[in-house]
Amino acid sequence: MTTHLGVMILFAACVSAVFAVLLRDRPRDEMRLGARIFLSLVFGAYGLGWIMFAAFG
Amino acid sequence: MAETSSTVSTSVRDLPNAWLVAGLAWLVPGSGHLLLGMTRKAGILCGVLLLMMIIGLAFGGRLFPFQMSEPLVFLAAIAEWAQLGPRLVAEMAGWGRGQVVAVTYEYGNTFLIVAGLLNVLVALDAFDRARGRRQA
Repeated sequence: MTTHLGVMILFAACVSAVFAVLLRDRPRDEMRLGARIFLSLVFGAYGLGWIMFAAFG
Repeated sequence: MAETSSTVSTSVRDLPNAWLVAGLAWLVPGSGHLLLGMTRKAGILCGVLLLMMIIGLAFGGRLFPFQMSEPLVFLAAIAEWAQLGPRLVAEMAGWGRGQVVAVTYEYGNTFLIVAGLLNVLVALDAFDRARGRRQA
C-alpha cells in the first residue's frame, strides 16, 4: 500500500468522498460525483505522469 | 412571496447558531453537520477526515509547529490546526514527531495537511447551512 500508486488511490478516495458529501445531498448523486472525482484524480495523475515521462524521462 | 420569506426566516431561526456550528466543526470534524441533524454526512466526514489524520500519522508525518522563520512550515501548521480536536489529542499523545527518514514521510505530511484544509471546507459548509444559505 505504500507504493506511490497505492497511496495516490487512497488519497483520491478520501478527497473524493469529502467533496462528494459536501457538494451533493442525495446519496445517489454523492456516489456518482464521488466516482467521477475519484476517477478524474487517479487517471488524471496517471496520464500526467506519462506525459511528464514522455517529456522529461 | 411574503409566505415564502416567512417560511425561510422561520427555518433559519430554527437552526443552531452558525458560529457555534462552525466552531464545533473546527473542533471535531463533522460535528457541525451533526448539530444540523445531518447524521449521515457527519459520520462520513468525521470518519474520512479522522482516517486521513491517522494515515498521516502512521506514515510518519509531522505535526508542524508555528515557525515564523520557515514560511512553508508555518503554513503547514495553520493547515494542520484546522482540525483542532484531533490535532490536540495527537499532540498530547506525543504522536506526529515526524520520521524524516521514513519513505512515507512526505505522504504522511500531505495527508495531515490536506485533512486540515478539507476540514476548513467542511466547517464553512456547516456555517453556510446554519445560516440558511444552503439547504440543511
